Amino acid sequence: MSTAEQSLAFERLVRPHFDRLYRLAWRLTGAKAEAEDLFQELLVKAYSKLDDLVEIEEPGSWLCRVMYNLFIDERRRFARQRLHTVDEGHLGGDGLEGLPGTENPVLDNERLERINELDNALAQLSDDHRVVVLLHDTEGYKLSEIEELTGIPVGTVKSRLHRARARLREILVANGTIS
Amino acid sequence: MQNTDTNRQDQEVLELLKDYPMPAADAAFYDQALVRATHEGSRRQRNKWMLTGFGAAVAATIAAWMIGGMLLNDPQLPDAEMTIPGVTMALAEPRTVNLVFASATALDSATLTVSLPDGIELSGFPGQREITWETSLNEGKNLLPLTLVALTPVGGELLARLEHEDRDRTFRLRVDVT
Repeated sequence: MSTAEQSLAFERLVRPHFDRLYRLAWRLTGAKAEAEDLFQELLVKAYSKLDDLVEIEEPGSWLCRVMYNLFIDERRRFARQRLHTVDEGHLGGDGLEGLPGTENPVLDNERLERINELDNALAQLSDDHRVVVLLHDTEGYKLSEIEELTGIPVGTVKSRLHRARARLREILVANGTIS
Repeated sequence: MQNTDTNRQDQEVLELLKDYPMPAADAAFYDQALVRATHEGSRRQRNKWMLTGFGAAVAATIAAWMIGGMLLNDPQLPDAEMTIPGVTMALAEPRTVNLVFASATALDSATLTVSLPDGIELSGFPGQREITWETSLNEGKNLLPLTLVALTPVGGELLARLEHEDRDRTFRLRVDVT
């Protein structure tokens, strides 16, 4: 297979899953630049495994698992804290594009403030808790799907989910976002 | 009453989470990512062949470094106490440093990571401080030529980390810039 044919075959396999993968990258990293890096690294890795990829029945799930493993590897390798800045946070710059507005600016502003507080609260969670709560409660993954993606047993996922929600509630009540 | 409050608060948290926005990717990002992936993937495959072709294969039994054409044979595993080999470079002039690893056995799916000191770049990887290859290594000597460029006169220590399964070994190369 020529390089051009390889590229075409690769694109046909991965492109249908781009939106799902990009969402996962965002939820894992919480910042645009890191999400794009992770997405890019996944594609590079997947391209190097093209021979395997063509044989896989559900490439989307496989790609998600590889992305999650890359995220974990990266986190372990650098043992770095997730950086969260206004520019790269959910509400800065490009983040606003993801927020559909209404015709009521007061309502929009209130919503922005609440989301901003949620953003700050999520940043106070550990990566393990943040990822589980976002995948389950925001992205709608089932517990079994999180287990399949992360390799973490359902019981542990449940426990992390419970603790993450409780911590979020605690933070959001304390700062007056919810009462 | 307290349980009621908690339940209502939990519900509010869930509603907030469901409503938590996320921006779409930039219009051109997917296309650019695809191009970069196929380009980078091809380059890594070439690097893999380059390493394999020269005999790749290190693992836990790397034994020798060849620096600037000078072979430093050492049948023992290098350790932190050994004198760190070094190379001297001129500022802004590319210098090819040949690293030779010798392995007692062939190894599949080894990972080689080169970490560069500040001010030193690997030709073809502008701005990258860490470059990783996946490679298969054969029994014998394995040559990895690295073309370095010094952007500042500071120099430092280059690290080459080889990982295979649960084993890893890190080699150091002192880089002086004149």
